[in-house]
Amino acid sequence: MDLVLHSVGGLSLDFSTLPQQLVNGLVVGAIYALIALGYTMVYGVLRLINFAHGEVFMLGAYTALLSSWVMGFTPDAISKAFKADHPLTSSPLNLVIMLLVAMAVCAIIGAIIEFFAYRPMRNQSRIAALITAIGVSLFLQYAGQLFLPANPPPSISQEVNPYQKVVSFVLSPAQMNAAGDVIKPQMDITVTVGKIVMLVTVVILMLALTYLVRYTKAGRAMRAASHDFDSASLMGINVNRVVTFTFMLGSALAGAGAMMLATFEGTAMHPFFGLQPGVKAFVAAVLGGIGNIPGAVLGGLLMGLAETLVTWIGFSQYKDAVAFVILILILLVRPGGLLGSNKVEKV
Amino acid sequence: MSLSKILGTRVLSVVLAIAFCFGLDAFVTGQLNEYVVRLVMLAGLYVTLSVSLNLINGITGQFSIGHAAFYMVGAYSAGIVSNAIYKTQPLAAPAYMIISMLIGAVFAAIAGLIVGMPSLRLKGDYLAIVTLGFGEIIRIIVLNQNQWGGSYGYAIAPKYQAGWLIWLLAIICIATCRNLLKSAHGLAFLAVREDEIAAQAMGVNVTKTKVVAFIVGAAFAGAAGALFGHMESFINPDLFKMEVSFLVLTMVVLGGSGSITGSVLAGATLFILPELPRIVSFKMSLGLLLSVLVGIGVLVWMNRKFMEKYHEPDKLKRTLVVAGANIGLAVLAVVVGKLLNNIPQFGTTTYDANKIRYMILAVVLLVIMLLKPTGLLGHHEFSWDWVKRVLNRNKAGEASA
Repeated sequence: MDLVLHSVGGLSLDFSTLPQQLVNGLVVGAIYALIALGYTMVYGVLRLINFAHGEVFMLGAYTALLSSWVMGFTPDAISKAFKADHPLTSSPLNLVIMLLVAMAVCAIIGAIIEFFAYRPMRNQSRIAALITAIGVSLFLQYAGQLFLPANPPPSISQEVNPYQKVVSFVLSPAQMNAAGDVIKPQMDITVTVGKIVMLVTVVILMLALTYLVRYTKAGRAMRAASHDFDSASLMGINVNRVVTFTFMLGSALAGAGAMMLATFEGTAMHPFFGLQPGVKAFVAAVLGGIGNIPGAVLGGLLMGLAETLVTWIGFSQYKDAVAFVILILILLVRPGGLLGSNKVEKV
Repeated sequence: MSLSKILGTRVLSVVLAIAFCFGLDAFVTGQLNEYVVRLVMLAGLYVTLSVSLNLINGITGQFSIGHAAFYMVGAYSAGIVSNAIYKTQPLAAPAYMIISMLIGAVFAAIAGLIVGMPSLRLKGDYLAIVTLGFGEIIRIIVLNQNQWGGSYGYAIAPKYQAGWLIWLLAIICIATCRNLLKSAHGLAFLAVREDEIAAQAMGVNVTKTKVVAFIVGAAFAGAAGALFGHMESFINPDLFKMEVSFLVLTMVVLGGSGSITGSVLAGATLFILPELPRIVSFKMSLGLLLSVLVGIGVLVWMNRKFMEKYHEPDKLKRTLVVAGANIGLAVLAVVVGKLLNNIPQFGTTTYDANKIRYMILAVVLLVIMLLKPTGLLGHHEFSWDWVKRVLNRNKAGEASA
C-alpha cells in the first residue's frame, strides 16, 4: 500500500478515499448551506444573529420524526411488521409529506419566535437582542429536553426511506501486480440514492428561493428591507410582514434540511443536536459573507468540505473545532466574508 | 474629605473585608454541614466570575460569551503545575494555594490576551461568536489530551478547600473593578463602551483598553478556576461547557451589565441553579409546569402592556395595581396548574429539579431581557453615599409631609 499512502508532514493521506470524502463533504455542506440561508437572510434584514436557528433545525428533525410516526413508521409497528414478515413499504409520497410538514411547522415556529422574542427587542441594542436570542435558544433546548423523546435518542426509521439503494461510480479500477496483490485499490464514490435525491432537493429549494427573492414582490420587499430597513418602511413596505416572512422562509429551509438529514443520514436526534449544525451553519454564513445569499451557499459547501477533509487528514476529533478556527481566521483576514463587502462604519 | 479620612476608610474597608472572609470561613466550617460549606465556596467563585465578566461585558462593552474558557484554563494550568510541584515537595497549604492561584491567573491572562486580540477588529455579535468559538476550541483541545485525562477527567493531587481564600479573591476582584472605575483608566473603559470612535478622538488608547479589560477579566476567572480545581480536586472538560458561560452571562445581565453590585448579587444567588438538584428534590407535574410557563409568558406580555399603556401619576397606586396583577396572575397560574393535574397524563408525568434547572436559567434570561433589558440594577452601584441619599430623601419627605 506504500504507493497509496502518501506521507505529508507526518500525516498519512489515503488518496483513494479522497473523492468519496469530497462527495460526503458536499452532502453535509448542502445541509449547512440550507441552514446558513436562514441565518444570512435574518441577519440581512434585522442585523441579528438568530441564535435559536439551530433549535428550529432540531425541532424540524423532531417534526419529521413525529410525522413519520403518525404515518405508521413507529419503532413498534416496524418490529411487529418484521416479526410478521410483512415489511412496511414506503413511497416517496411519505417523504414529501414529511418534508412539507417539517417545513410548515418550522416556518410557524420561526414566526412565533420572531413575534414573541425578537419583535419587542427591535428597538433595543443589538447586544440585548443577541442575549435574547441566546435565551430563546437555551429555552428551546431545555424545553425540548423536558417534552421531546430523547432517551434513547430516536432516529427516523430507515423503513420510511425508499431510496436506500447504493450506487457506485468507479473512477479508476484497482491495479494488481503480477502476483495478484493489490498495489492500488479501486478509487470509487459510493452514495445512496437518497443522498442524490437530497442534493437534487437542495438545488430545487435554492432555485425556488432565488426565484422568490429575485422575482416576486415579497422578495423585492425583503431586499429593500435588508438594504435599508428604515427607508423601506418609509416607502410603504410593511416591514413587520417582511421580517415575519424572512423568518418563516429561513426556518422552513432549516426544517427541510433537518428532515433530509434525519431521513437520509438516519442521524439520531436529541434536544441539543441543533447546536453543532447551527453554529457551523452560522460560520458558513459568515464565511460566505453574512447577509449575502449566494455567499451562504458557498460558505455551507466549503464548511462541509473543510470538515470532511479534516476527518480525512486524520483529525476527526477536532472536527467540531475546525468551524471556529475557520471563523476566527476569516474574521481576522476578511471580516466581510468571501462574497461580502467590507463596510466602514461611519460616525 | 481630608486625606486622613480617606485613608482611614480605606484601611477600615480592607480590615473589614479580611475579617469578613475569615469570619465567614470560621462560621461555615464550624457550624454548617459540608455541603453548605461547599455552596458558600461556590457562591464566592461565581461572584468572582460574574464580576470579572462584567468588567469585559458591562464595563468595557466587549461582548464576550466564552468566560468558562478562562475558568477552565485557570483550573487546568494550576492543577498541572500544582501536581508537578506536589510530587517533589508537598508545601504548606495557604502559600501553596496563593501560588497556584497566581499561576492560574497568569495562564488565563495569556488566554485573555489571545482572545482580546481579535476584539481589536471585531465588534458586538461577531466578537461574541469568536469568544464562544474560542471557548469551544480550548475545551475540545483539552478533551483530546490524553495526558490530562481527556474526557475522563484530571485529578489534582493536593485538595485544598478554603472558603476564606475564595471569598478573599472575590473581594479583591470586586475591589479591583470598583477602584478601577474610580480611576482614569476605568473611565477609559466606560468611554470605550459608550462610543469607541469618540473615545479614540478624546485620546483614549482603545486598543490597550480593550486588551487590558480582557486580560484582567480573564486573570480573575483563571484564579477562580485554580481555586475551583483544587477545591474539587478532580476536574473534567464537561464542568466548563457553554452552559457555564451562559450562566455567568445571565448573572451579569440579570444584575445589570455595568453594575458591579448587580453582578455580585446575581452571582451569589444564581450559582445555586446548577446545584439545585442536590439541594431540593422537588418534582413538578406536567400540568403545573405548562401552566407556569404560560403564566410567565402572560406575565411578560402584561407587564409590557403596563409599561406602555398604564400611566398612573400616583406612584403608590401604580405599584399596588401592578403588583396586585402580578400576584393574581401567579396565583391563577398555580390554580390552573393544579386543575390541569386532574387530567390523567398531566398529573402523573413529573419532572425533577435536575431537568428543570437550566430551564429556569433560560426563562430568567428571557424575562429579564423582555421586561428590563438593562438588568435589575442598571448601571447603579451600592455605595454609602447612596444609602445616605436615600435616608436623607426619606427624612426630607417626612419633613415636607
